[in-house]
Amino acid sequence: MTDNPFMTMKNIDKSFNGVPVLRNVSLKVEKGEIHALLGENGAGKSTLMNILGGVHLPDNGSVYIDGEQVRMLNPRISQEQGVSFIHQELNVVADLKVYENMFLGSELRNKAGFLKVEEMCRETHDVMATLGVDINPKEYVRNLDTSYKQLIEIAKALLRKSRLIIMDEPTTSLAEHEVNRLFELMRSLKQSGVSIIYISHKLKEIKAVCDSYTVLRDGELVGTGSMEKENPETITKLMVGKAISQERYVHDNPFGPVIMEVKNLTSEGLFNDINFTLKKGEILGFTGLAGDGRTELFESLFGYRKKYSGEVRINGELVKIDHPRKALKAGVGFVPKNRKENAIIKDLSVIHNMSLSSMGNFESSGFLRDNLEKERFQYYKDALNIKVHDPQITIDKLSGGNQQKVVIAKWLEANTEILIFDNPTQGIDVGAKQEIYQEIVTLSEQGKAVIVLSSEAPEIIKICHSINVMYQGEITARFDGKSANEEEIMQYATGSKREAEKIG
Amino acid sequence: MANIDAKEYSTKPSTTKSRLSWLWSEYSVIIAFIVIFIASAILNPRFMDLNNQLNILMQVSIIGIIAMGMTVVMLSGGIDLSVGSVLALAGVISVLALNASGSILVGIFTALLVGSFAGFLNGLMVAKGRIASFIATLGMMAGARSIALYIADGGSVSGEVAGFTAISNSDLWIFDVPVIIFLAMTAAVFVIMHKTRFGRYVYALGSNEKAALLSAIRVDRIKIGVYTLIGSLVGIAAVIETSRLNSISSSSSGAQYELDAIAAVIIGGTRMTGGRGKIIGTLFGVLILGILNNMMNLMNVSPYLQGFVKGLIIIIAVVFQKRE
Repeated sequence: MTDNPFMTMKNIDKSFNGVPVLRNVSLKVEKGEIHALLGENGAGKSTLMNILGGVHLPDNGSVYIDGEQVRMLNPRISQEQGVSFIHQELNVVADLKVYENMFLGSELRNKAGFLKVEEMCRETHDVMATLGVDINPKEYVRNLDTSYKQLIEIAKALLRKSRLIIMDEPTTSLAEHEVNRLFELMRSLKQSGVSIIYISHKLKEIKAVCDSYTVLRDGELVGTGSMEKENPETITKLMVGKAISQERYVHDNPFGPVIMEVKNLTSEGLFNDINFTLKKGEILGFTGLAGDGRTELFESLFGYRKKYSGEVRINGELVKIDHPRKALKAGVGFVPKNRKENAIIKDLSVIHNMSLSSMGNFESSGFLRDNLEKERFQYYKDALNIKVHDPQITIDKLSGGNQQKVVIAKWLEANTEILIFDNPTQGIDVGAKQEIYQEIVTLSEQGKAVIVLSSEAPEIIKICHSINVMYQGEITARFDGKSANEEEIMQYATGSKREAEKIG
Repeated sequence: MANIDAKEYSTKPSTTKSRLSWLWSEYSVIIAFIVIFIASAILNPRFMDLNNQLNILMQVSIIGIIAMGMTVVMLSGGIDLSVGSVLALAGVISVLALNASGSILVGIFTALLVGSFAGFLNGLMVAKGRIASFIATLGMMAGARSIALYIADGGSVSGEVAGFTAISNSDLWIFDVPVIIFLAMTAAVFVIMHKTRFGRYVYALGSNEKAALLSAIRVDRIKIGVYTLIGSLVGIAAVIETSRLNSISSSSSGAQYELDAIAAVIIGGTRMTGGRGKIIGTLFGVLILGILNNMMNLMNVSPYLQGFVKGLIIIIAVVFQKRE
């Protein structure tokens, strides 16, 4: 490390609503280096980058650029300092042309106020040429591949004379050859003195392209250094940490008969040739990185997605599930991820959210009975320890953990034999997390068949009898819950190991 | 993210101030109604006359019936611009059926059938065709009006069956029959929305369609049901409209009814994007519009200016509801 890095963040603290997200984190990026920022979900990577990008203000600590302290009060200041943030979701407007996207918000105009289209096109062409690509500046962005959209974002950053580009998981939506093109591009940017902060989970990629790394865990800096000296295993260990409690919740209760059998399930571009069986009383885990296709797989099994092929048998009977209602009838329940978008109806009361998937239980002669709903809710309130003062208030007023419990109550009330939980502890505090784990284990002991999807390997190890690891739409490894360890799971999830024969 | 237990207990209105603002957000339309009612009574003594009051009810009954359906559509997150045109079409066809058959029952049944069928088509377009409700019903608006004009050759058609006019022109105690139908429909829609699973699903769908679908609700069927419901209410409104003067005009009947119905729903506090709103709110929204029309007539405001006042009230209503 030299003594005058291009960008330094020193002793950054940040908390949201009293919960610390970053504690005393520092980050140094040299001029012309590619720096990997690593950590599991929720480690604080995004928060740190949002502070650098001027989206959040730090509670403590300071940011230096070229040795001078800068207060990143808003994204504009950050941009003026030469920092560009390329988000995971690309911010390009599909209905505009390439050059229009490039100059969006800072269009070149002549004195009369009209746009200087030709000049913008020429500059776009020039920048693209330095990146080694030849696209027509007047092409509509919607006609381009995703990798080109990313190029536009990078080109935009260059056009603004950015000296530091933050890339947040840029390869999740790219194909193999596109990834290679991106890497070449990053190397040539590096040559021209641009620094890059590269956020990713995929250690293989990081090894291939990054010069140095910083690892965050639970909001703290746990390691930093040069990439050359490290091997992926040490970094994985740093990310995961050793201090995690290995106590497993799940017991070895005997399983019942096979209830669900999935054969050759395939959906173009999402998942490929998925096979598994699920027994009564079993908790089956699926893990992997973002974009591994597990959510899409189970959204298909639940009938939310219709375009898939393969065989699904429930209790031995071949079923064709193409609507969530059919899934419910076949005995499949689904607690989706992203609670706010997918699971709660924020304008309905807590009680009404609970009863939504099983209205038939609360009807008599065609009309709903409020009392039945209230009684039933009281039962779940006690059983799941839902903290709510007045269940008539709308569900959005509850905390994340209590909302999730209501969603779980909704599916318990629907009383399905199979329950799928997608990222069940997303955005939930530690206490409620334990309660939800406990509930999942209890369900399996009652003989329900449970599937848990999560990107957090420790969570999966804690509560699952057996674990499937997915990578790019395929199951790449299968572990017994007892013998699984996080590091090994990570190797399969990142694609750095791939053993088809492990699948049995 | 952060869960502080106290948060769950802080939602009940505790201070007088928060209790007042809760009262306002829940019942602002009723408060507005009372204010406007009292102001009208002070401004013009004739306003309080029982006959005038009953007259207001009679005048709002057709829009009121349509507005009940519109509330359901808007709660589901949609909109129906075709109600005025479908009313004209249902009226024209039902008069032809009435005259051909000589049976009042056949006339009524035809109006209901045409209305519901048009609504069903709207629902199909929205649910299965995935066309935005604004576009689908805009198409229906143009199409239904055009067919009505074609059938009636651009003019009016009149009933030739004795007794048909009695529907709109007879009383039950002091109330005109249309008023009773309006109140009955209000009650019916209220029950549907609050006491049946259909109603619950409509709220869910309007609030978060994806979550509703992932809760195993057959979202498509609910949408079709919603548009069919407003269609059949428009059919009922068409019977009243036709029976009132024993004729219906293919060119002017029902014109701009969609605007009045939407205005009543908005004034009543239903959110444009769906999921939130009340049938009772719409009832008072309808009454507020009725009082305003009535007062402007009583006070000899130029008919040309009445639209301006109405527009102003709608905008004020929405501005105040923004407070939530």
